[in-house]
Amino acid sequence: MRKYLLKRIFYLILTLFIVATATFFLMKLMPGTPLQNEAKLTPSEKAAILAQYGLDKPVWMQYFIYIGGIFKGSLGLSFQFSDQAVSYLIGSRMGPSMQLGGQAMVIGVVFGIILGAVGAIRKDTWADRIATIISILGIAVPSFVLAILLQFYLGLKTGWFPVAGWQGFLYTILPTLALAASPLAETARFIRTDMVDVLSSDYIELARAKGLSKFGIVYHHALRNSLIPMVTLIGPLAAALMTGSMVVENIFSVPGIGEQFVKSILVNDYPTIMGVTIFYSALLCVLLLLTDIIYGIIDPRIRLSGNGD
Amino acid sequence: MNLKTAAKVTAVAGASLLFLAACGSKNSSSSSSSKNTATMAAQAELPTMDLSKSTDVWSSNMLNNTNEGLYRIGKNGSIKPGIAKDTKVTNGGKTYTFTLRKNAKWSNGDKVTAKDFVYGWQRTVNPKTASQYAYLYSGIENADQIVDGKKPVSSLGIKADGDYKLVVTLEKPIAYFDKLMGFVNFFPQNEKVAKNYGSKYGTTSKAMVYNGPYKMSGWTGTNLSWKLTKNNDYWDKKAVKMDTINYQVVKDNSTGLNLFNSGKIDDTVLSSQQVKNYKTNKNYKVRQTASTFYVEFNRADKDAKLAKAFKNKKIRQALSYAINRQQYVKSTLGDGSTVSKGYVSHNLAKNPETGADFTADAAVPEAVKYDQTKAKQLFKEGMKEIGETSLNIKLLSDDTEGAKKSTEFVQGAWEKLPGLKVTNQNVPFKTRLSRSQNGNFDTVISAWNADFTDPISFLSLFTSDNSYNNGKYDSAEYDELIKKAEGADANNKNARWTDMVNAEKQLMNDEGVIPIYQKSEAHLTRTSLKGIIWNTAGTNYNLKYMSVK
Amino acid sequence: MADNPKEYQIQPGDFAPLDKQAGPDNEHIAAPSLTFGQDVWRRLKSNKTAFTSFIILVLLFLMAFGGRAIYHQNPNEQAPRYANLPPKIPGVNLPGFNGHIKQSGQDVDAYAQAGAGKDVHYILGTDYLGRDLLARIMYGTRISLEIALIATLIDLGIGVTFGIISGWKGGRVDLFMQRIIEILSSVPSLVVMVLMATAFQKTGMASIIAALALINWTTMARLTRAQTLQLKNQDFILAARTLGESAPKIAWKHLLPNLSSVIIIQTMFTIPNAIFFEAFLSYIGIGISSPQASLGTLINDGQKNFQFLPYQMWYPAIVLIILMLAFNLLGDGMRDAFDPKSKR
Repeated sequence: MRKYLLKRIFYLILTLFIVATATFFLMKLMPGTPLQNEAKLTPSEKAAILAQYGLDKPVWMQYFIYIGGIFKGSLGLSFQFSDQAVSYLIGSRMGPSMQLGGQAMVIGVVFGIILGAVGAIRKDTWADRIATIISILGIAVPSFVLAILLQFYLGLKTGWFPVAGWQGFLYTILPTLALAASPLAETARFIRTDMVDVLSSDYIELARAKGLSKFGIVYHHALRNSLIPMVTLIGPLAAALMTGSMVVENIFSVPGIGEQFVKSILVNDYPTIMGVTIFYSALLCVLLLLTDIIYGIIDPRIRLSGNGD
Repeated sequence: MNLKTAAKVTAVAGASLLFLAACGSKNSSSSSSSKNTATMAAQAELPTMDLSKSTDVWSSNMLNNTNEGLYRIGKNGSIKPGIAKDTKVTNGGKTYTFTLRKNAKWSNGDKVTAKDFVYGWQRTVNPKTASQYAYLYSGIENADQIVDGKKPVSSLGIKADGDYKLVVTLEKPIAYFDKLMGFVNFFPQNEKVAKNYGSKYGTTSKAMVYNGPYKMSGWTGTNLSWKLTKNNDYWDKKAVKMDTINYQVVKDNSTGLNLFNSGKIDDTVLSSQQVKNYKTNKNYKVRQTASTFYVEFNRADKDAKLAKAFKNKKIRQALSYAINRQQYVKSTLGDGSTVSKGYVSHNLAKNPETGADFTADAAVPEAVKYDQTKAKQLFKEGMKEIGETSLNIKLLSDDTEGAKKSTEFVQGAWEKLPGLKVTNQNVPFKTRLSRSQNGNFDTVISAWNADFTDPISFLSLFTSDNSYNNGKYDSAEYDELIKKAEGADANNKNARWTDMVNAEKQLMNDEGVIPIYQKSEAHLTRTSLKGIIWNTAGTNYNLKYMSVK
Repeated sequence: MADNPKEYQIQPGDFAPLDKQAGPDNEHIAAPSLTFGQDVWRRLKSNKTAFTSFIILVLLFLMAFGGRAIYHQNPNEQAPRYANLPPKIPGVNLPGFNGHIKQSGQDVDAYAQAGAGKDVHYILGTDYLGRDLLARIMYGTRISLEIALIATLIDLGIGVTFGIISGWKGGRVDLFMQRIIEILSSVPSLVVMVLMATAFQKTGMASIIAALALINWTTMARLTRAQTLQLKNQDFILAARTLGESAPKIAWKHLLPNLSSVIIIQTMFTIPNAIFFEAFLSYIGIGISSPQASLGTLINDGQKNFQFLPYQMWYPAIVLIILMLAFNLLGDGMRDAFDPKSKR
């Protein structure tokens, strides 16, 4: 176990290192500097500004400074916000994104499980069909279309929810719903497939033969066994949420990381683009590691060993 | 996976049914503005609150309302007293002596003194501060050399004579000096506070001190909402009626309109189709900006054939005649923008004698006219003159919504000319700037936004040595006229005006650049909001006298 | 009853040999002989959803690639006078298709307002430059599909080759190649795509295809590797090996045909994925640039007018949704069809 963990953590760091390196050099290939009025700046002004951002040094040196900085938690200065550290920017934008992501994950997974379970238990009935339609639409309707529809119909037309902004729980509902659609659909599909298998397995037949109630069977036997492989979904779901957050946060004016990332791309704020990329990768890597560990703990059939399959 | 087929068929069919879904909109125009509070939408984040580092529209708007300089720019660009109570101009327009009011205070209780101005100005021109707008100081004694690192900061032509007397020395008379004094980069700064916060100064609403009508709070440096509250330390606080003005960043116009209609905000910017639907709304307002969109030709194009073509006046004229600006502005943009009457924007400056608008005095109607037959004719002639039959040009511009529309429209119009093929290049703003500056383009749609309300802010761009003259427009007459306006005639308002009018005429007759349109912002602003002062150039908003009725 | 069974006598003539030719042949295979492909097709046809999806996809492809043969409008032809006109189908007086819109709360004939003559009508309306929306949707669908298909093809090439090599070689090579996949898949794919699209200077189709292709192949590689690992120890492969076939030949002649089902199924899920990512990139403004259009850019343009001209977003969005649905459902159906165990 310890050996496995150490190995995984080593790979995690290696991955992040490669991501940081690749991003750094990709960004170096591109034009764009923190200079706003380049034509009007004198050479010494330009030099001063570039020095402030560490851009006066040769690229290889900038690279080592950047990589070294990551270990100290520094990701450089934003081009867009003057004198603002990227790490601070990410930190201050993290709260709303995490809250939305968390809420969407919980709602998506919980309702996805319910939907999937209903579909599996009431297989081939109208309940199953509705569950299927919901889950298949959740995959087919892109989050940006859904967000616009939610904002317009549930926000403006009915006035039930705030249209946009970030001033309390009520404001989180629509973006959460827009984000939750895809994890919900994925979960429902996953659970349904898995439970259909489980429900036809011998031990369920045995439980049924023993006269356990249908609810008892589903709750005690089927669901529990379906939930274990669910854990492996967390990584991909988190990645999907990151994707979704970029447009959903934008549409609902949520001060989150996704919104900032898109803006940074549009204004060529390279330090922020790099910082957010590394942050996202780190987040996903840690999540993947955690899910593997959790998976190993809850599923006795899996042994965590140092070897791949 | 063995899902029931009917369910999936229904899903496909259900999606198809959405074809029929349509909707009309109904709006409940309730207002979020209650007594003395209002909520406004900002279209972009606030990058800084540092007076030396502000370069963008929104930080300048916020700084202008939370701080105050020697003057405050009022309605129609008029100069209203700010911290300066009295001004004396001596030495042939080269020495300004300002007497400051004694009751001006910072929001931390400190008095606003002449030393704050000296500190603020010196901080801005100090190369170490890395201000990107220090070039505006050019003309103030030694400013250029200081910015260039060749002279010490203390040699700047500004001296405090006691706490309430300020003496500014210029290298040569600057006709628009008083207008500059209303610009945020010339506001005073509190040395104690700036030094205390160091590199954090101006990065959050807390790490800043205010001497203007409002104080800012709730801005963490990166978030999307903040507040302006009445500043009780402001010297003229009696005139300030608003208690709170909330700001919410809304980048998406549909979101903005939705917010307005649900009563959450009291002001929003409209896009074209929104304008069509709200044109008759009582809240509809058009705010013009001193911003002209124009096409530049690269006379130094690496492609010799194109360079030759762009040097040909007939071809330039043809390209101008080909564009139906009226239709573009009305049908495509539809956001209240207007057809350019010339390169210098409308409603920017008035004839000091007659009061006529600059664009009226300097009008060259032919330069912005649409005439397709003439365009084709001239193009044919021009092509014959340069001995070519076909041209293949690239049209560069930003990748923003408006810029994309512009390039698409211009492309469509130009391709109607026989033998002309146009390829669009929509790139990020900064890429466009760097490409323009490096001469890496054929034609580019650029925009210029005047820094202050004087035609020279536009015209100085196209002197042959100007760093923004990307297309290398080169006219000795033009250079001479601008030189006169900036030098010999600087103290003679009328002569200077004539110089500038002639320069503009020269540029337009040469078709040196092709002006397309002047940008306007269409707003919905609740009629209950009164006293909002909007200026086309420099800082747009002055909210000192704003009120809710 | 005269017949008494006891009295019945069996005589030699009672038994006669049957005609061998005429009788039922137990060795005969009653069902028509089907190849694997034919079998898959048959099962696919019996799966109504998948088959419907298939038909819809065929129609969409026809519309996207051949639609201009019937509908002659040029998707880039501007008619600024007729900008933002709602759908109008001559003779149809249904709300939504009669050329009327609500403006400032009033029902207005937009065509009359724009001064359009009787013969001017746009089936799905026009966009902000007066371009025919139907033509643009067809064009946009084509671009979206082209991008997705090319990206998927590249994807397939990289993924399958990578997977086979990794699975076939095994050992250190496999371990190393697995690490590469692991690293790539622990980076959020969209972030990488955004980076790529940004780095390639937003040059349109090529950059998006490259970005899509470079990222999406890992799943394919993983699946082919697993399958190769299974296959490589089977008798027919061993036989081929012992007979001295070269590794590339084995891969081509023996592995690939056996991998085809996995590859095809995965492809069916990669394509909608690519369509989605392309739409996403175009939507946030770093995808296809004007005057080219894709479903993503069309939705983005339409979204701005959604309150007043909902059709401008609805139609491209619906096409996108149907595309995604159809590909996903067809993928599901294919998976069932290719899996001999899921016979019903």
